[in-house]
Amino acid sequence: MNKMPLAGIRIADFGWIYAVPHATAWLGAMGADVIRIESMRAPDLVRFLTGTDGIVGANRSGVFHSINTSRRSIVLNLAIPEAQQIAREIVAKSDIACENFTVGNLSKYNLGYEDLVKIKPDLIMLSGTPLGQDGPFARTVGFGPTTQAFAGLCHITGYPDSFPCGIGGTWPDFAVGTAMVFFLLAALHYRDRTGEGQYLDLSMAETVTTMMPEAMLDFLMNGRDQGPIGNRDEAMAPHGVFPVAGDDQWIAIAIASDTEFAKLCEVLSISSMATDPKFAKLVARLKNVEELEREVAARTRKFDRDGLVAKLRAHDLAAGPVYKTEEVLHDPAFVESGMLLKLKHSEVGERAVPGLPVSFSAIDLKYSGAPAIGENTDEVLRELLGYSADKIARLKEANVLF
Amino acid sequence: MARFEEYREPQRALEGLKVVELPSLDTMPFLAASMAAKSFGDMGAEVIKVEPPRIGALERTLGPFRDEMPDPETGGLHLYLNTNKLGVTLDLARARGRELLFELLASADIVFNPNRPAPNEKLGIDWRTLVARFPKLIVVSLTFFGAESPYKNVRGGDLVATHMSGVGFETPWHQVIDPPNQPPLKLGGRQSDYLTGYTGAAAAMCALYGRIANGTGQHVDVSQWLAMIGMVRPNLGFYSHESHEAAAYKRLGVRVKSAGQWVYPCKDGWVSFSAGTERFWQGAKKAMEHPEWMDSELLQTVLGRAAHIDMIEAGLIDWLSTHTRAEAFEKAQAEHVPCFPVHSPADVAANEQYKARRFFIEHDHPAAREVRMPGAPCKFSRTPWRIVRGAPRLGEHNRKIFGERIGLSETELATLAAERVI
Repeated sequence: MNKMPLAGIRIADFGWIYAVPHATAWLGAMGADVIRIESMRAPDLVRFLTGTDGIVGANRSGVFHSINTSRRSIVLNLAIPEAQQIAREIVAKSDIACENFTVGNLSKYNLGYEDLVKIKPDLIMLSGTPLGQDGPFARTVGFGPTTQAFAGLCHITGYPDSFPCGIGGTWPDFAVGTAMVFFLLAALHYRDRTGEGQYLDLSMAETVTTMMPEAMLDFLMNGRDQGPIGNRDEAMAPHGVFPVAGDDQWIAIAIASDTEFAKLCEVLSISSMATDPKFAKLVARLKNVEELEREVAARTRKFDRDGLVAKLRAHDLAAGPVYKTEEVLHDPAFVESGMLLKLKHSEVGERAVPGLPVSFSAIDLKYSGAPAIGENTDEVLRELLGYSADKIARLKEANVLF
Repeated sequence: MARFEEYREPQRALEGLKVVELPSLDTMPFLAASMAAKSFGDMGAEVIKVEPPRIGALERTLGPFRDEMPDPETGGLHLYLNTNKLGVTLDLARARGRELLFELLASADIVFNPNRPAPNEKLGIDWRTLVARFPKLIVVSLTFFGAESPYKNVRGGDLVATHMSGVGFETPWHQVIDPPNQPPLKLGGRQSDYLTGYTGAAAAMCALYGRIANGTGQHVDVSQWLAMIGMVRPNLGFYSHESHEAAAYKRLGVRVKSAGQWVYPCKDGWVSFSAGTERFWQGAKKAMEHPEWMDSELLQTVLGRAAHIDMIEAGLIDWLSTHTRAEAFEKAQAEHVPCFPVHSPADVAANEQYKARRFFIEHDHPAAREVRMPGAPCKFSRTPWRIVRGAPRLGEHNRKIFGERIGLSETELATLAAERVI
């Protein structure tokens, strides 16, 4: 049987909300021992975001359970120095520490990189913050959805020539969390070759800006400050979301060449448009894009969504249904992908939660359901740190393990 | 006294790894493999970018271009996505082209392939063939829907993946006031291409650790569609935990306002603002100097506020109308409330925070002169991100790679060029 890629790697995970927990879900699925350090004194907001079957509680949030797979949980009340010492002992036995608190928060508990590297010289530590560890605005607070405004992404997201928009899916938390996996493993690879750890200072805004080169370079090269263009593309037309039969039902269609446009016209029974000088060539379609979109929309309305998707795909065109999340879950290819897992949770039982979006031909990913808060406290203290039952009982009594 | 290591040339995290990037053969722009390979190159891996002879990689044809003059050697996207790469040309439709590709793969650790199974099979470079022939190689497929999916040969891309994932349906969600005339919206730029790139880079590192553990390479299947579905991860588990009657469950099915966390107009532009939690609500009260409307009985609980979001928005927009972006940012953040100015690309380029952290890098490219571009996506203290080599000219490293490394003679190279294999 294949060994897990990250067997033997331990992660002291101080992360919360979305980005860092998403990154450690990847690493846990690869076989790393992820120990999530949390506390009922200041619990992860996500633990109370929703409640299973309508009952809210620290161990009942479906959203929390969706993200915090493949890890153990220990509670440590870091306001108490003895709990800080236990956290340091865990870090001393870990390869990686990661966190996404406001700049300086962990240092207040003597758990900043400068503290931890003394007890674990080859530690790899990642701090994810809205704007990074230094600079005039380092101490700002923010979630991904608010931070992406700073990074420029909201400005280029919106209806054509209209106002800037927020983005769904709590973008960019999970995108940044995915990138974190790469950064952490690159640092680990370096440590494995040289014995040297390091500190990774991730600014969420900066990571987002690396994902918008078109708009940034247009400004940096040409001084052109791009605004939103809706669902359109500067080099394709039509490229948009069009209404289909039914209430709030839509189809996405992206046409990448004149040949593809002719096929689209055939399917929509508007073949004359394919030879009309106003639309036949890309340059003309881009120039007359509003009229083009009106004509296409007038035709797509007459079709049932999934039927039209099938027809367009039969012509090898890029088209897809605009899904609500619930519809994603019912898509046969999504079901077959195996991305939705059934995992057991100690309080709410077996529930469906997502796994990684990637599959590997020679790794059986290691999934376990999200832990209840502090579910593994005793086990970690006993097995990893060798604490006696008496000592653990005393620490509980003293509210250190809370 | 400074230690010895401070005088050393900084090391790079992934030095020693060898990566091959294959070109996308689809007319639909798809830049995931380019982004994944860039991530490796920028961390020190050797990346050989394989491009079709004469036409080159697709990003060479996409803007922005300086002064809007299309030039395959100086386009912004090419300069940005191909930093730190060696460039070779190969016609993969020709048997000799594929032989040379196999020579490259024989000494590579990772190959990124952005093509669907059908074109790969036609060329004999599908993942099964590659994994069988090169047992140590990590073969990363980055495709629209996944190399093993029932949709494996369906064409997609940024727009389709965004809208089939649920992300598009939720955008711009809280700003939708007229659903029939405000269709679900994609994100600016090509977010799902770059997300897929980072996903592929992360997954390739996982597979590399799999090889360290077990001694063998493998196939890694990265789907742009599934990567985007991963962005609505909270929703995915929600359905198995809540009844259909739950308020949040219903909310996911309709595009209406339901929370005070988005972007709002202010005196000189727009800001993002969140008063979604009790703590932020209390902070917002202080920042806004306790306006009367915030004392309304309707707004004293999180649920009450969710039900009366219009009241909150009206009050917030009223306050913001007397504040600039900078003033709102400063006042809200002073009370620890998440609020940020909405920056345009020009604002980002001029921003003090980005400047202080030296995010944008200046780079003197032989063909494009001075170029400024986004730099490190994450700051590594010991192995800093840097540009060692600018984006290659088309076929710039043919002689170095096929000649010096593979050992073809000058005559053979000339013949291959004449036959347009390279």
